[in-house]
Amino acid sequence: MTGEKLKVAVVGCGQIADGHISEIQKLDNAEVTALCDREPLMAEQAAVRHGVPGHYRLFEELLEKERPDVVHITTPPQSHLPLAIQAIDAGCHVYVEKPLTPRYEETERLIAHAEKKNRKLTIGHIYYFDPPALALRDLYASGAIGEAVHVESFYGYNLAGPFGKAILGDGKHWVHQLPGKLFHNNIDHLLNKVLEFVDDERPMVVAHGEVRRTTRFGDIRDTMPDELRILIQGESTSAYATFSSHVKPAAHFLRLYGTKNIAHADFVARTLVLEQEPSLPSALGRLLPAFGMARQYRREGWRNVRRFLRSDFHFFSGMNTLISRFYDSILDDAPLPIPYRDILRIGWVMEEIFRQLDGLGEHS
Amino acid sequence: MSVLVTGSNGFLGSVLVERLIAQGTKGIRCFVREGSNRSRLDRLRERHPEAEIEYYFGTLNSAGDPVGAVEGVSRIYHLAAALDGAPADMFLNTVVATKNLLEAVATHNPSVEMVHVSSFSVYGVADLPAGHILTEETPLEKHPEKRDPYAFVKWYQEKIVMEYQKRLDFPLVVLRPGVIYGPNGGGISGRVGLQLGGLFLHLGGSNRIPLSYVENCADAIITCAEQHGCGVAIYNVHDDDLPTSRAYLRSYKKKVKRLRSVPVPYPLLQLISRGVEWYHHYSRGQLPAIFTPYKSANLWKGNLFDNSKLKSTGWRQRIPTEEGMERTFSFLADADAERGT
Repeated sequence: MTGEKLKVAVVGCGQIADGHISEIQKLDNAEVTALCDREPLMAEQAAVRHGVPGHYRLFEELLEKERPDVVHITTPPQSHLPLAIQAIDAGCHVYVEKPLTPRYEETERLIAHAEKKNRKLTIGHIYYFDPPALALRDLYASGAIGEAVHVESFYGYNLAGPFGKAILGDGKHWVHQLPGKLFHNNIDHLLNKVLEFVDDERPMVVAHGEVRRTTRFGDIRDTMPDELRILIQGESTSAYATFSSHVKPAAHFLRLYGTKNIAHADFVARTLVLEQEPSLPSALGRLLPAFGMARQYRREGWRNVRRFLRSDFHFFSGMNTLISRFYDSILDDAPLPIPYRDILRIGWVMEEIFRQLDGLGEHS
Repeated sequence: MSVLVTGSNGFLGSVLVERLIAQGTKGIRCFVREGSNRSRLDRLRERHPEAEIEYYFGTLNSAGDPVGAVEGVSRIYHLAAALDGAPADMFLNTVVATKNLLEAVATHNPSVEMVHVSSFSVYGVADLPAGHILTEETPLEKHPEKRDPYAFVKWYQEKIVMEYQKRLDFPLVVLRPGVIYGPNGGGISGRVGLQLGGLFLHLGGSNRIPLSYVENCADAIITCAEQHGCGVAIYNVHDDDLPTSRAYLRSYKKKVKRLRSVPVPYPLLQLISRGVEWYHHYSRGQLPAIFTPYKSANLWKGNLFDNSKLKSTGWRQRIPTEEGMERTFSFLADADAERGT
């Protein structure tokens, strides 16, 4: 398919669809030709704002009339499986927003179906391709960190933000219907970075969740857990992951503890620094590291300035890279940006976490 | 007569409910979200124990929810709209919500009197000369997609209301208020200027600001609704003695807090807007296009305003602008002191 432009359709025209459409429209090898939402006004508004020619209420009509090469599925997760299967059966490659499906068994089924039909599938693990994640991957590959001993992943969530408000403003919001509720819609971002370094098929997982907010609604929203701690133990690497809705600022980072050095990737400030063994003895060894860190942060700051000047400092940078690599994998028949094995391992760990939290969040 | 009020626990909605009580309306059904902050309405209930205020819990986003709310009422005051958030969410919470309400009207109360609170932002004045007198005859926006998300969703919301009116032929009053202000409302209107970091960009210059004190606005909504018979009637809503942006800002600085402000003349603003729009495209959206020549022309080119159609209904400005500003600034100063800034 080299040289051709991919025809892309987006189904589900909520908040995240805006990000998808904008990022696809930045690419030279693809164009968004149609949008779909079961509420026709939602499809229409997105089409008008983004200048997309087609908009539909019925997905089957879109598939039949537009015949897209790729479909992005940005609907609530409960509908991902049937829509993705429908798109694959129509000959489309699919990019599915996270979480891929509400249940692990459905994830297995979807991937098997994509493989059987020889269509490509990826999931919206966008931070996996953010600049700090890419830089960390390069650094790890260079051997500067050594072997991974332990990983710490932190994902802060702002419940007062637009999506948090939507969840708390509506007791019928689809997030409340997911097995893992708020966590289910977010911890892909927490886990994909961890499981990159914990390579085990079935690591040991221990999870603890709780509700920190005060009771306010008298319904299911009051019991929605908002703090999660996860311990993961692999054969050679361990990990600790935190999801917090109350820590301010809402930090987002990954710390990789290696046998040589410790790397700290900050996804908010978009920096990557290395904590190194002091090269000087005694008091001097404690005096100099602060200056070394200051130098690294200054270097990272200027790198970001240069990216900004090159117009390469967008909010959805990771999404853009992921979409771009996914499309390359389709056009050039190159490997997928996210191996199916990783999608399945993350799905399994999520299911295990929600199994352990089962009952938490039920409203009596 | 019993009425339904959507957006009833909002800034304008709660004042409207209070004015309805004062005017003697019996049976006020307030559509509220489960778990939303109802403190304003609760206080109203405490102050007016004799008033027949009923809460109807639900969300307009959910197609079935408004059905029970519209049943049995003779008039609907539709005020619900999203003021902020992501564009798609604002659309969902404003336009789709309105469609759901009107679907419920269509199936369960098609002859209800509808009072829709729209906005000045539905007008398209970018291509009109400076000094154009904005009336109900001023053309509507032709390119809502070029405006900010609030203007976009309010334009669509009114369009939907008009489409349903055409289909169902219910009596409809559309009110298009300018800048609604008052205690418990927001801070300085965007028509005056914008805060950018520690600096306030004064963009309004000597333009008149179409202020509508919240109680006067509520009076206007009720007066126009009471006057209306059948068909569609549209009214612009603003007060009589409108201050200039400069006078408003001066008074704000004196009575609320000191602001470091810099005046940006309109020609310079247009130049900046062109630059911002160019950079937005050049950088493929690295920074948002908060200013574009089109948006700037709509908001800051400078219009004159005429409320004679509103006054023909018998509405009179009850709270003078000077007093309205005094009350508002006093509230904002107290709120500011409470925050300790």
